[in-house]
Amino acid sequence: MVAGISDYLKKIWALSIKDMRLYYFKGPTIVMGVVMPMFLWLAFMIGSSPSIGSAVAMLLSISSFFAASSITPVILPWETRQKTLEMILARPITIELVLIGTCLASMLYGVFVSLVIIAIGIFLGVCAANIPVLIASILLSSICYSFMGLLFSAIPSDVPADAVLLSSVVRMPLIFISGVFVPINRLPILMRPLSYVSPLTYYADIINDLYIGRSTFSLGIDFLVLLLFTIILGIFTIETNRRTIIKRL
Amino acid sequence: MVEAIGLYKSFGSVEAVRGVSFSVSRGEIFGLLGPNGAGKTTTIRMITGLLRPDRGRAFIMGIDVHRDPIEARSHIGVVPEVSNPYVDLSVWDNLVLIGKLYCIPKETIIERGKSLLEELGLYDRRSSKAKTLSKGMRRRLLLAMALISDPEILFLDEPTSGLDVFSARKIRSMITGLRRNGKTIVLTTHNIDEAGMLCDRVAIINKGKIIAEGTPDDLRIRYGKYIEIKVLFDNSIDSSVLNEFRDHYNVTCDERWVTIICEKNELDEVLDKIMNIKHRLDLRIKDLHIESQSFEDIFVRIVRGE
Ligand SMILES: Nc1ncnc2c1ncn2[C@@H]1O[C@H](COP(=O)(O)OP(=O)(O)O)[C@@H](O)[C@H]1O
Ligand SMILES: [Mg+2]
Repeated sequence: MVAGISDYLKKIWALSIKDMRLYYFKGPTIVMGVVMPMFLWLAFMIGSSPSIGSAVAMLLSISSFFAASSITPVILPWETRQKTLEMILARPITIELVLIGTCLASMLYGVFVSLVIIAIGIFLGVCAANIPVLIASILLSSICYSFMGLLFSAIPSDVPADAVLLSSVVRMPLIFISGVFVPINRLPILMRPLSYVSPLTYYADIINDLYIGRSTFSLGIDFLVLLLFTIILGIFTIETNRRTIIKRL
Repeated sequence: MVEAIGLYKSFGSVEAVRGVSFSVSRGEIFGLLGPNGAGKTTTIRMITGLLRPDRGRAFIMGIDVHRDPIEARSHIGVVPEVSNPYVDLSVWDNLVLIGKLYCIPKETIIERGKSLLEELGLYDRRSSKAKTLSKGMRRRLLLAMALISDPEILFLDEPTSGLDVFSARKIRSMITGLRRNGKTIVLTTHNIDEAGMLCDRVAIINKGKIIAEGTPDDLRIRYGKYIEIKVLFDNSIDSSVLNEFRDHYNVTCDERWVTIICEKNELDEVLDKIMNIKHRLDLRIKDLHIESQSFEDIFVRIVRGE
């Protein structure tokens, strides 16, 4: 039993390392996961003059979000196109292990990018009020957003650009309704319900709390809702991908 | 070692596989031979647990493939029909990745990987990215990847199709070498000669059904009792002269060439008749061929349902 679990973990890790080596430095990943949120942030910075603390908080929120959700959408279309999917699935692994490996790689991408931004913040003299809470929120939200990205690969297309486009179309508006740039209580009243169903809202709320002491919900609520999102998205995306992956053969 | 029981699979209205059953015993090379679209790939995918059959079951070493795919697949190596190694990883890293998915100790991977690459003529290219390899080299790498776990059973879907002569020969000799080491191999091919050359037993599959099964020699004896006699006369002959053959044999006449297909035990009789015509019309025989029908002709006839 224990040997069984450690074998699973080894296999997931091997798959995940493969994904990291193959996808971390691919053009679309860097553009959609790192460059794009940076530009969005810069565009907002030019129009306003927030404190360094809130500038770092904004960059951290959107970067974790984009980075963690930028790898999961492209891997399956890419592997379908490269004709490696059937080759890898014929090994003693399951579709679930492949998907979890993918999510792990994507999630760690989010974590790495977040750590870089935290380091930049420290360099500029701003730091989160509570480091363990910061780390926990980055880990949990990165898992959540990597599952969210996986949602876009449930469409059995073999054109990675399709998944990239679709995921961007969905992720972009979320930035504006999740209290990253504009606090939720200053959003038009009609848009507020939307912000409550965005998983980014709760992570951004934690980050704002930790960096500038402004929050809409308590930390407990934030973590609880993020956890719920993670569980629901996790089950839902793995199940839908499990069904459609066969159509990719 | 491998058992397929009544496998069915349809895709929408296409019935790809309609009740395929066979079993393969230890150390045997079993060939699924059939034209394109016959259902070979679908069958292999069901047996290796990639596709769930609509009906029927598949076992590998007694393990139900769809109950316990991980355990079943840990005993097999697979080279799918259309597949690639990871082109952005090196030859060596591709091998190591696969080795890790079987949880093989590092030293074993290194040792086996080295000897496999040497045997398949890829050792010099071990640090090259797979994208720099030719199609034949990639297929050889895929074979090495399928063998890194030293599996008891190997599944090869069209292992040599579309390859250069050198790679095809290398893969075939690897296959015969593996048989000597007691491996069980299930391969598919649409190349009749390949099946005749490599396989201990062949099942001919067409339109999703197995329509004949046996050793290549069995099939040759069962379906290959016909021979073909070709005679070249010095003058063209009128085809009405051949009427006396028509009742019994398949005869065609093309100017001076006459071709007669008959059963082996009729050879003597047919040759007599040919000599008769020769004397009657005062012809001379310039050339004569007598051939058993090739495996290919047999295959074509079985598939046509003759
Ligand atoms: N994933 C699929 N979706 C729809 N039809 C399929 C699929 N796979 C195979 N088929 C159909 O099933 C039939 C058998 O295909 P296949 O097993 O690939 O044959 P073979 O390998 O003998 O050439 C073909 O008519 C093919 O078009
Ligand atoms: Mg095929």
